[in-house]
Amino acid sequence: MNRFTLICAALVFLLAGSVSAQDVLFRNATVLTITDGDLENTDVLVSGGIITEIGSNIRAPRGITEVDATGKYLMPGIIDAHSHIALTSVNEGSSPVTAEVSMEDVVNPYHLGIYRALAGGVTTSHTMHGSANVIGGQNETIKHRFGTKDPDDVRFEGAPRTIKFALGENPTRVHGNRGSGGTGAIVPATRMGVEQVLRGSFENGKRYMEAWDAYTAEAATNPRAVPPAYNNRLEVMADILRGDVLVHCHSYRADEILMLTRVFNDYEVRKITFQHANEAFKVAPELAAYGAYASVFADWWSYKFEVYYSTSYNAAILMRNGVVTSINSDSGELNRHLYHEAAKSQRYGGLNDAEALSMITINPAIQLGIQDRVGSIEIGKDGDLTLFDGHPLSVYAIPAMTFVDGIKYFDRFEDADDMRLQISPSAEIGTFEGQITGRDHIHDETEVLDFFELFGEDILTTIDSQ
Amino acid sequence: MLFFGAILLITGLCPTSVHAQKDSADIPTVSTTYAIEGARIVQAPGRVIDSGTIVFRDGVIESVGRRATVPYDAIIIDGSGMTVYAGFIDALSRVGVAAPERTPMAPVADTSNPTYERAGITPEKQVRTLLNPSDKSVDAHRKLGFTTVHTVPHGNMLPGSGAVALLHGKNADAMIIRNDVSMAFQFSGARGVYPGTPMGIMAKFRQLHKESSRRLRLEQMYASDPAGMARPPADIVHTAFFPVIADEKPVFAHTTNALEVYRALTLKTELGLTMVLTGLSEGFDTIDKIKTSGNPVALTMGLPDKPKWAAEIKSDSLDQILASYTDETRTATFRDVEAEKRNLEAKQLVTRQKYVEMPKMYAEAGIPFAFTSYGVDSKDLSTNLKSFVEGGLSSDAALAALTVNAANILGLSASMGTLDAGKMANVIVTSGALFEDDTTIKYVFVDGHKFEYDTKTKKDDAPSSRRRGQ
Repeated sequence: MNRFTLICAALVFLLAGSVSAQDVLFRNATVLTITDGDLENTDVLVSGGIITEIGSNIRAPRGITEVDATGKYLMPGIIDAHSHIALTSVNEGSSPVTAEVSMEDVVNPYHLGIYRALAGGVTTSHTMHGSANVIGGQNETIKHRFGTKDPDDVRFEGAPRTIKFALGENPTRVHGNRGSGGTGAIVPATRMGVEQVLRGSFENGKRYMEAWDAYTAEAATNPRAVPPAYNNRLEVMADILRGDVLVHCHSYRADEILMLTRVFNDYEVRKITFQHANEAFKVAPELAAYGAYASVFADWWSYKFEVYYSTSYNAAILMRNGVVTSINSDSGELNRHLYHEAAKSQRYGGLNDAEALSMITINPAIQLGIQDRVGSIEIGKDGDLTLFDGHPLSVYAIPAMTFVDGIKYFDRFEDADDMRLQISPSAEIGTFEGQITGRDHIHDETEVLDFFELFGEDILTTIDSQ
Repeated sequence: MLFFGAILLITGLCPTSVHAQKDSADIPTVSTTYAIEGARIVQAPGRVIDSGTIVFRDGVIESVGRRATVPYDAIIIDGSGMTVYAGFIDALSRVGVAAPERTPMAPVADTSNPTYERAGITPEKQVRTLLNPSDKSVDAHRKLGFTTVHTVPHGNMLPGSGAVALLHGKNADAMIIRNDVSMAFQFSGARGVYPGTPMGIMAKFRQLHKESSRRLRLEQMYASDPAGMARPPADIVHTAFFPVIADEKPVFAHTTNALEVYRALTLKTELGLTMVLTGLSEGFDTIDKIKTSGNPVALTMGLPDKPKWAAEIKSDSLDQILASYTDETRTATFRDVEAEKRNLEAKQLVTRQKYVEMPKMYAEAGIPFAFTSYGVDSKDLSTNLKSFVEGGLSSDAALAALTVNAANILGLSASMGTLDAGKMANVIVTSGALFEDDTTIKYVFVDGHKFEYDTKTKKDDAPSSRRRGQ
């Protein structure tokens, strides 16, 4: 128990004289701490959005909201390391390299996917650029503070920068097979081309970094030093080389996974999480040796040629080989039952409860560089918590309440029919009867401007005659 | 007195008079002095003369008052029963600029590297070269009471440079009173090429601005001493950013939803832009943000279409539906689809009502705003303005948005926005109070030039006989 924290908390109460909206006390829960075992009949106190006390018979600060968690399970909020919710655009698919674009600019706090994720116990999503480009845009890590309309309010403040890379069929199809008969095709058309784009981009980034470093050194003594041309794409490549940006790479095949580790080794880039990575089990020792992470599906494959070879044992094999592994959703539907997805690793691979749950809590937190803030129930961590009415790895478990920073954002018994923050003032009314499930992969009800939709057969556009 | 009159007559006879009619250039006007007598004069929002006279000569207001002296050479208009207001100013429009024809998109060899033109990046394009006084939008706007517009070219991300123009004049140069006043910007992606998405546009704007900053610095270094220095790179797009970087020209960022407002303000803060935000449809969600930023705004005069099902609903049953809405329904929806549908319809009306009440909300928040017609069909403007007033916006606040506030944003307050002696004679004469159903606009004076509208009460004066420069 951290006495200093306690004293601080007590001081805050004395000074403020009342509890804040970010204070909550859970009574008598089974606490799944993830990093320190399971604690029966335990209280957890959240003050000012931070976990300040874990124990039994915690003295309740006056006026605090108490949640009777008897017979219930309290776990850290689930973290989804691969998602595309809460975005207004996903792919800037016009160029094989778009390192300069960022999901930071297109976060959509209105998106109902945030609330749906909360209903599945998910409190943080890594909401990513799509896989159209070899080097796509930078991603954004968000907290599910549903209800705000200010995009800044959902950002995971202080989370490290991350960027999306993509190997294989998606970038080669989008760029290497463009136009009728490939008339608009550009590199990469093959997996070799993908590697070439990567090496070229790193090489350019390196030169850019060197040119600016040389300029900065010269400008110290020479006021007439000429700065090199500014290029925000290469600026980001240079930041990756400096180790300031974590790479999350869409990948499937073992050969391309190894290829990327070789490229990264050449450019001394160490921070890499392989996303999807359905064949990663084949190279698990190599990944562990490189220090690479993996974020996989529990049992999802065969949706395109490069993903025909896979296994439900993928996650377990990676874990047992010492690779920090998470299970992600990549879907606004799958993210509502990531606890089921984690449980599948017990059926296929026999992981224990703590290992299975780590794949949707502390491991994705490590992959996103936010493990000091979330991913486990520890004093000093954020009050991002999910209360289940049964053990979360049971098929009968249902999330009852979800908290972010100590604030309750989801309660199964206070769940109104229509939680949308915004609806079209003009569109046809869609009711239960008329509802169409929609596309599984990315989005289902708000307008997302995906670059693929911009390529039509006969697109007419307005071009000034001037 | 006679002597001065003679001089006036001679001046009036001068064949080079700028006020001459287009189709009879050599025939002078009888007089360029007008007096509107016995009218209700709204000099500015809340500043009213119940019955007075306004006199203007050669496009300049000479006097306004309860008992202004009427010069002998004035053309007198009997203003009894009429109301006189300052002409409206549109803070952002494309009035006078014909929409380009839609042509099939030419294939682009490399979508990652299109031409500036194809990418919608044409900040160097001057609206002066496109402005046409006989474009039908000029008269369409003028007959609604607009006398001045800030107008910009058509286009995508960076359509070009805007100008402040009067809705009168033989040609673009005669119309324009201030050229090259703004850089127009919007989140309108290039189809099929870079930048296609909002995030691409954000990145491209940053790239252009930062590289232009570097080039401006190089230009300055080179201008002061070129010795030993490679010639700085130059192209018209980056050069067009120089006045923006030097803070000599504001960016007019047009936004069509709340998230675009946040994006525009992000760029403003990051790059230190001087910005005017326009549009702000859905801006009821950004009031706090706008208030904190202190950024000037021009709200759209557009409203979302009514949903089909609501098209025939009368306003009294509308109130009933609005009142019936609850956000607390907990019905198993499949058990009562009709109930769900009714509540969704109510939610949709509640939502639409927020758009109608948005100008009122801004007024209540103490945020001064102008209005913009950008992207709005001119035939909807008058109806929508009435809706705003019905939605609780005071008619004074609406008038302020159309006059003094727009003049402030465009830096025109010294010459426009109110009916005060010395200001430009941009004047409208109506049959009654603005924003009311049976009020019509009788006359619009632009820079002292009379345009006569709503002649239907006169017996033998068909609308087709409207003349400019009477």
